[in-house]
Amino acid sequence: MLEGIFKVLSDAIFYNLIREDRYLLFVNGFKVSIQLTVFAALIGVAIGLLMAISKLTNNRILNRIATAYTDVIRGTPSVVQLIVIYYAILGSSHLPKILVASIAFGINSGAYVTELIRAGILAVDKGQMEAARSLGLSYYQSMRYVIVPQAIKNILPALVSEFIVLLKETAIAGYIALDDLTRAGTIVRGRTFDPYTPFILVALIYLYITSILTAFMGRLERRLRQSD
Amino acid sequence: MKRILICLLALILVFSFIGCSKINTMKRIKDTNKIVWGTNAAFAPFEMRQGDKVIGIDADIAQRIADKLGVELVVEDMEFEALMSALKSGKIDFIAAGFTVKPDRAEQVLFTDTYFTAVQVIMVTQDNEEIKGPDDLAGKKIGVQNATTGDFVASDIEDAEVERYNNGMEAVMDLKNGNIDAVIIDNLPAQLLAEKNPEVKILDEKPAENEEYALAVRKGDTELQKVINEVLSEMKASGEIEELVNKYSIGD
Amino acid sequence: MIKVVDLHKYFGNLQVLKGVNNEIKKGEVVCIIGASGSGKSTFLRCLNLLEEPTKGEIYIGGVSITEHMKDINKLRQKVGMVFQQFNLFPHMTATENIMLAPVRVKGMPQDEARKKAVELLRKVGLPDKDDVYPSQLSGGQKQRVAIARALAMDPEIMLFDEPTSALDPEMVGEVLAVMKQLAHEGMTMVVVTHEMGFAREVGNRILFMDEGIIAEEGTPEEMFSNPKKERTRAFLSKVL
Repeated sequence: MLEGIFKVLSDAIFYNLIREDRYLLFVNGFKVSIQLTVFAALIGVAIGLLMAISKLTNNRILNRIATAYTDVIRGTPSVVQLIVIYYAILGSSHLPKILVASIAFGINSGAYVTELIRAGILAVDKGQMEAARSLGLSYYQSMRYVIVPQAIKNILPALVSEFIVLLKETAIAGYIALDDLTRAGTIVRGRTFDPYTPFILVALIYLYITSILTAFMGRLERRLRQSD
Repeated sequence: MKRILICLLALILVFSFIGCSKINTMKRIKDTNKIVWGTNAAFAPFEMRQGDKVIGIDADIAQRIADKLGVELVVEDMEFEALMSALKSGKIDFIAAGFTVKPDRAEQVLFTDTYFTAVQVIMVTQDNEEIKGPDDLAGKKIGVQNATTGDFVASDIEDAEVERYNNGMEAVMDLKNGNIDAVIIDNLPAQLLAEKNPEVKILDEKPAENEEYALAVRKGDTELQKVINEVLSEMKASGEIEELVNKYSIGD
Repeated sequence: MIKVVDLHKYFGNLQVLKGVNNEIKKGEVVCIIGASGSGKSTFLRCLNLLEEPTKGEIYIGGVSITEHMKDINKLRQKVGMVFQQFNLFPHMTATENIMLAPVRVKGMPQDEARKKAVELLRKVGLPDKDDVYPSQLSGGQKQRVAIARALAMDPEIMLFDEPTSALDPEMVGEVLAVMKQLAHEGMTMVVVTHEMGFAREVGNRILFMDEGIIAEEGTPEEMFSNPKKERTRAFLSKVL
């Protein structure tokens, strides 16, 4: 019995990781997933900030653009967005694939970040803006020195949680033949015909990264609460 | 890290034993009065979608198998790379998916007789003067359908960067967009793709030895294998297979 | 100093101010009293354009502010405001709260602004609270920091919007003391308040607002001992 268990395990490890250096697929997939997430998060936060401000100003045109953006992105599947951006919009741009994918995921994440930032800013007491304006600060200065620093406290924990979602969202990168962590799992599966092991491995790697982010979020929340 | 490793080992064990449970295929087919065909319906002319139905050469063969057994045919259309896993875990009863006979696949499943000789071809854009044959592919970016024969062929080419798409159409699209240099794919779908995309051409020089297509069943399902072999030899003898190839290869 | 002519304010269809006229002189301390919903806070907030008047004119120092909406930030530097809910910036220390506007709006060097903030904190009786965050201060202390913050811009006029209404009773005195001191120094002040004792003692003039207009006005003696109108009498009998 014990010998049988040992054989099952050593076979699983040998075929899925060691043979033909398959572990390299997972290692590279891991790198791609992390790169995608980091780039997309940066792009997403930049877009989110711009769009949140556009939504909060009184300019009708900016308002409409931002609303249309968040409505379209949040109302359509990210797979469709990725494919449209990769094959059609940026189809013949000849940018590195990982960059195109980062842009696509960044545009997607930006819509959710927009709402996070908007909600975070709106959650700051109205009296804060009035107090700042009554001292002679301009709207921009009031935002910059009074509202945004307080809004960041509301936004940061939710933003980390959005990054966790984003990391998992990048699992669809395989649709544009980008070998991310999940695609590494499917490739190995296509080679070894082992139905479970590659995906269990992939799932555990995701879990490991997200647990680090979750721990970070917990610490962040505690620190922000202390400074209140 | 240690915890993750222990988790991994435990999960592999659990799933391996679930996967090991014996399945009596013929009895189940009789009991449920249906047989489940696994395929990836993005590989014209062998299998493709028409409305909500899967049609193609393999579809007609699969239907004949079901008819022979006197049961209903149920189709499971899934990602190509998932077919072997699905067969092994009992989600499907047989694979008919332009499936090439290969030794490492034969370790895992039971192949039937072959019914078609497939040729892998190289596709490039019309204006490409650089790639004339397989020797020019070294160090190039090659698009394939994930886990197909083309994928295995491309993976063996020296320094080639293999881009694995979910279907051949997407690979050809990216070829047209100039993001990859060539596509390696089966001859028949290549003909159809080239017909629909005049910007690409098929090279005469072949990148690999010819491949034989067969159906596949679970190891030990010799009874089902026998039934399928009978159907195939009938269809080959009557010239039906050839008819099907001609019928579906004419593009729409 | 301040001249208000036929001021109207609507919130949607609700008319809150129905033609307010008044003139406030330099160095005057004007207390506005009245029931809640009478429009007294809205009137005060119009004076530094936190509410935009629907109709009418407001002149400050002879300049119509309703016509010069663009110079709104300049105007607000001259008019300090203290809120019922303090509205201190919670992410800044007491000193930083006071320094913000002088540094960012007037471009005052940090050192100078800090020195001024420390002085102002001393003036409002909080010499040891320089680096304390608002959350560590009591309500009365918060309001005194808020007054210091408004004073840091050297305003010519100070507006107080029910500055003691959110305070526990035992803290009302310390805030009123600071305001009294300001009045003695000659600051022009407009105070919306429920503190009749303060109004009587410190105010030069009392405005009684009712249903969007100034129903009656006069010196504290006239208003508290011999109000002319029935409504004023009814209100005062309830609060005194």
